Amino acid sequence: MDGRCAVETWAEFGFSGASCTPTVKLGAGAGVFICTGSDEVYVFSAEERKLTTVLLFPAPVSDLVESADKQHLYVACRNGVYCVSLQFLLSRAHSSPADASSSPVELKISRECLVVPEEGVLSLLPVGSVLLTLSQRDTSWVLTVYNSPNQSASSSCEMLASYSLLQASGVVRNDTEERTGMRRRPVLICVHSSDATTSPPSSSEATSTDGQFRLEPVLFKLLFGIDAALAKSPVILCGLPDGCLCFLPLRLPGSRLRVLHSLEQPVVFVGACVVMETGPGHAQCLVAMGELGRVVLIKTDKGGPERGGSIAGFIERCVPGPVMCGCVDQKCLYYSTGSDLLTLDLSQGGEERDEEISSKTGAALQSPASLNVCRVIAVAEPTCNTAGEVQLLGLSARGQLQRITLPMRREDASLSKVAFSHVGRNVRDLLSAIGDVCERATTLKTAIKSKNQILTHLNQVLNISFLLITSTNSEEHLLLQEKPIRCHAVTKWSRLLQKDSLNLTCVLDNSSPYVLEQGWTLSITVFPLSYSPSTGGESPSTNFSFPFHNLHPGETLEVSLPLAAAGDSAFPMTLSCSLVFSLSSLLGEEAANVPSLQSSCFSLPLNTLTVDWLHALQVNRPIANHKKATSQCSDTAMDTIQAFLSSRRIRHSGRKDGGGESSSKPEQEQFSASIRVSSELLRDTLVLKSSGLDPQGPMLAPQNVFLSLLEWLLCEGPGEVRTEHQGDKISSSVIHGQCPNGHTVKLSAKEVNVREESLGKEESLTTVEVHVESSSITAVCGLHHAVLHRVQTLLQRAPERPASTKTVQSLGLRQALQRAEHLSQQIQQSRVSGAFGVGASTGKMTRSLLRVYRELRENPLLII
Amino acid sequence: MSHKVCQPPSLLDRWMQENNELVNKWQQEAGGDAVSRDQKAHLRSCSSEFHKLLQKIQGVPPLADHTQLELTVVYNACVCSVAQSHFSEAELLLIQATERVLQITGDNPVATDPPVFWKTALKSVANTALNSSIQYILCLQWAIWLATCQLKTIQEFQDELFSLSESLSTGDRVDRRSGASGKSSDIPLLVMDPRRLFELLQICTYIAQGAEKLSEGQSSEALSVLQTASSLPAPKTLVAYTHLLSGSCLTHMSCPQMALQCYRKALETDSWCVCALYQSMLIYRQLSNTQAEIQALRLLHSTLMLPSATEPALAGTHLLSPSLLLCSKPLNSLLSVPSALFVLHSLAQKCVIYGRVSEGVECYLDLLNTLHSEDQHGMHIEVHSLPRLPELYLEAGAALLMARRPTDCMALCDEVISTTLELLPDKLVLEEPEEKCEAEARPVGEEGEDRVGMLLWTGAAYLLQGHCHTNLKDWKQAVTHYTRCINLLVKVHFKRRGFQPQIPSVDMVGKQGTDLYILQRLKGLSLAGRGISFSQTDQLREALRDLQLSLQAFPDCVGAGLWCGEVLWRLGRRREAAACWEKTWSFTTQSSAENLSLYLKEPQSGPLLDSTELRHRIQGLGPTLSA
Repeated sequence: MDGRCAVETWAEFGFSGASCTPTVKLGAGAGVFICTGSDEVYVFSAEERKLTTVLLFPAPVSDLVESADKQHLYVACRNGVYCVSLQFLLSRAHSSPADASSSPVELKISRECLVVPEEGVLSLLPVGSVLLTLSQRDTSWVLTVYNSPNQSASSSCEMLASYSLLQASGVVRNDTEERTGMRRRPVLICVHSSDATTSPPSSSEATSTDGQFRLEPVLFKLLFGIDAALAKSPVILCGLPDGCLCFLPLRLPGSRLRVLHSLEQPVVFVGACVVMETGPGHAQCLVAMGELGRVVLIKTDKGGPERGGSIAGFIERCVPGPVMCGCVDQKCLYYSTGSDLLTLDLSQGGEERDEEISSKTGAALQSPASLNVCRVIAVAEPTCNTAGEVQLLGLSARGQLQRITLPMRREDASLSKVAFSHVGRNVRDLLSAIGDVCERATTLKTAIKSKNQILTHLNQVLNISFLLITSTNSEEHLLLQEKPIRCHAVTKWSRLLQKDSLNLTCVLDNSSPYVLEQGWTLSITVFPLSYSPSTGGESPSTNFSFPFHNLHPGETLEVSLPLAAAGDSAFPMTLSCSLVFSLSSLLGEEAANVPSLQSSCFSLPLNTLTVDWLHALQVNRPIANHKKATSQCSDTAMDTIQAFLSSRRIRHSGRKDGGGESSSKPEQEQFSASIRVSSELLRDTLVLKSSGLDPQGPMLAPQNVFLSLLEWLLCEGPGEVRTEHQGDKISSSVIHGQCPNGHTVKLSAKEVNVREESLGKEESLTTVEVHVESSSITAVCGLHHAVLHRVQTLLQRAPERPASTKTVQSLGLRQALQRAEHLSQQIQQSRVSGAFGVGASTGKMTRSLLRVYRELRENPLLII
Repeated sequence: MSHKVCQPPSLLDRWMQENNELVNKWQQEAGGDAVSRDQKAHLRSCSSEFHKLLQKIQGVPPLADHTQLELTVVYNACVCSVAQSHFSEAELLLIQATERVLQITGDNPVATDPPVFWKTALKSVANTALNSSIQYILCLQWAIWLATCQLKTIQEFQDELFSLSESLSTGDRVDRRSGASGKSSDIPLLVMDPRRLFELLQICTYIAQGAEKLSEGQSSEALSVLQTASSLPAPKTLVAYTHLLSGSCLTHMSCPQMALQCYRKALETDSWCVCALYQSMLIYRQLSNTQAEIQALRLLHSTLMLPSATEPALAGTHLLSPSLLLCSKPLNSLLSVPSALFVLHSLAQKCVIYGRVSEGVECYLDLLNTLHSEDQHGMHIEVHSLPRLPELYLEAGAALLMARRPTDCMALCDEVISTTLELLPDKLVLEEPEEKCEAEARPVGEEGEDRVGMLLWTGAAYLLQGHCHTNLKDWKQAVTHYTRCINLLVKVHFKRRGFQPQIPSVDMVGKQGTDLYILQRLKGLSLAGRGISFSQTDQLREALRDLQLSLQAFPDCVGAGLWCGEVLWRLGRRREAAACWEKTWSFTTQSSAENLSLYLKEPQSGPLLDSTELRHRIQGLGPTLSA
């Protein structure tokens, strides 16, 4: 058959691994009943195209049927058969206040609806006023006849009769059952002789719904005996999972279940259809189909010449299986193999001679036509729409309810030239089908693409993570090497709204081969190295986060953050940088709604920066200011005015901490500290450092060593933090500056020759002495610490040298040790007295400690 | 263990309370007019509760303190199990419980042989407080033996079992006294009174043994057993059974009148004892008391049609119903009653045969009506099966014809013909049945047999239609139908072993009941019918030919013989006619077709010849003859 099927997906149901064959049944009034083998039965309205009701049963549902009068729905569960009034269902579905958009009504079916408390009913069939159930007991099949609940007085069904049949020992059945884990439902249909007056009311139809068929009388008599025909008894046909096709005349005294035929494979489907066009409206052929693809056609044949009369002919053929489900309409058998929906034209062969018929039918049976619909696992009875197209209602393996509209059957070669309008419509249909497919493909493509993107993204993320983790773990080795991803920063004083503030520009440098993509956030935590107890003992840390988009290899990201305002003295500060990746950004919008995903992120530490007093020092450069006055008049003028104003103000406000502007208050006590560094070391290290950058680096004059030290201290710094100053190179050896807490600081450097005598030899050593002087002890301490810290890193960077001048220090060391011992004693004393509280007040103790401290600072050790 | 030592009193109380609650609950539910299905579910739940409780109790090592309670719960649980026909489960429980008791008393369980085992058990607790409990339990074992038809074991152990009676009654009294003095919560309750159980078991044992003996042919011994049983206190259904079985014994001993007395007694005891009615009907049939037989059949049918008759006659209100205990095969075959339809058919047949045609016709119509009604669900698969449906139609048609309703008869025949016509074979070979057993072994409804049957039924239907037209004096139509019948019948070829198939000739008359016999009879009757019809239209030559052929095919046909003579007479061959008549009269007496289907009987409705007139003619001829 050429042409394509139009498949329309109506709804989707959750489909779990079912214990029983799923079912789709077309009910009266455009209702569709779906059962997927779980505890639920879905009622779908074909008119409204929506799920109207969900029936919840206490046990897994194995089968469902509508009663003969279309008033009730019988549902077979594991613990019995329930009867639900369809009127009640409808009323419940409509009475629900919410309308079309709402979710379906859920109905819990209670035990009150239990009409047959028989366990393990597999299949149901209503025939007239009775209900038949088929169940399995040990090794036999039991067919039980019950009175309908509305017939009997009580609410439950009354058992009328029961028939049993020994199960055939089927190897096939066990095998497939084990494989699929699914119990195939026995098929039950009812066959009436078409001349019987008590046949179903809809007598015009050859086949009617719900497994009721009207069969040609001769075939009926041949198959089921004339007693059944005389008694006008309906005959029940059972297709059993053990491969037997049995029958039972329902209203015949002394009748029993008898085997009509054996397919030797689980019976999937039994039906009847009209094969000859000319016949009256009754089926002339019974069809049974086995799971492995065996098809049996049963129809009347002319008896052989020696016998005469008619005999029942069984035509057996095989089609490629496995057969999941099947149904039959007037001429065709439709079946699904799970991977395709196929159709077999049973009417082929027409009214020709016997042998030809059988051979032709055989040929037709062997060549089923594909309909190109896959994954159908259950189908309802086929219907014809107004256009004459056959429509099937199928349930796919994914739990989709699909309406499959079959292409029009091509009647003949001449008839195939249909009207243009029809062609047009066909083309339109095809186009729209193509459009549908295209649309589906596009969405699928996009989904795949986005997933791929996510994977690449994830790959990058993982690469970066591993890179950072290894670099953290082996920090020692990488100390000198530069980390592939790291931060460095520049501090700068700026003035905004008449207020000075120290800004930090942090630069994230990505020198790794990977891209930092969306989802990464640079997080900088700023906390002071030491903090006053007034903050409550907790580190007053500030966190800054900078999400960014893409940072390709070699690119840098610059962010600035306010570090401190003027007057803030919480230096030195530690900036701990880390990269944070949030998972929710990886998954996109879908993850945005999941609250638990919002917080799921991981943080990878980068490096730690330190901003110390030197960074925060505002250098006063009258010369520089002068120089720049022409170009940046307003700015510098403002600066000086501001400086003046602030000094005035401070003077008026009085001095509370004993600090103040050292320049304007000479009487104020000055604190000082000094550090001595060997100029040889400085030359080595500073020259070494600037050699790559500065062309005249190696020619650095020896007298300029202290200047370059100062410059290095003020601008470059040892770590990744630099200070940006407005001026250019430092020319004087004395620098006045302003600390963040407002005090002026004098920082000076000079070359000093240290002489030492040791073992009779006299050696001199050129050193550079850095002297810090300020009226504020905090500033002195902070600067001293900063300078020391930097010199320390300088030392670490110094190349290894043979110990030539080691002896020089020995005398100095001894002196220093003596001093230190003495000081230590003093500290001890003051601590003891402080502890006992004798003599001295706390002020006195502080003073003595301060004195010790100053002494320590005054006589620095020479750093070589 | 220390934990247990301090616990027993409270645990014991709790268990006892639980047991008593369960028993009370059961009795409340069972007391109400509950539907039997609900009762079944209730029984199931009760049973599982008792078993759970028992598991709890048996989780503790056997202790003398609560053995009494344990045995009571065992009893209750087993009664429930037996009521649900879980015999092996119950038996296992009983033996386990008894072994636990033996552990306490210190006797090792000796034998696996049940009677010996139980004897040991009885002996070891003989003078202890557990005696009565063990006896209750033994009663249950007895019930299981009975229900599983182990009559031999019961026989071996009978003395002990029957002696349980006295001790049970005394034990019961003790229990009652204690029950009267104390609260009901002090003593563990039982779901079923052991005394009742004992009585039930006793009479059921007698009945089963009686039935067994009867089936073994020891009628007199069976009778004595049953006589003992009939005097025992028991439900009236069971007493009726004893009378019924006594009747059966007497029937076997060829005392039909005494048997009838017994059956009457059974019916007097229990008016629902349809079996007694059926058995008496059989005796009347044996005695050829037609009127009484028909009466009995009528009664039987109306009784069977009552709704209550379909319910099991022995649905007792007790937990253990007698039907559970009486399940031996011989007994069931003795107690079986055919279905209402079968009885109705018998009734119809008898009525027609014994001349109560209109009654018979009514019965036949009733029967057909029932068969066509939607309520019919052919549930009885039974030994007494109805004849095939076409035969029923034909019988009914024949009855209608006898009742002078030829048009109705024709309608029925039409129905048969229309059903079978399309399926009739062009040619059929009838083989001589090899041996009788083989013929019986052939499954009913096999295609080949069905084809022969169909042909014969269609032939018979045509024959009946011919008779109808004869009855209506529509000779032409009659000839047509008889001809159809003949044409059909000649299609059948008969094949003897070692011979070619051929059209059966005169001398091939099979035994009565075989297809060949029916074929020849049909042929004879139809030829005779056509001959008579021809004679009525004065086609005497054809008539003579047919009648002679008829006599060849079926020599016993009276009508053919008489009419052959008549035709000969009319043709002027008076001597031959006289000889023919004489010959016919000579075999009329010996022809017995009692068992023949109605439609195969010679029609009584056709044109008749008065035998006395014929004799006069012969007498008139006589002198000439002698002269």
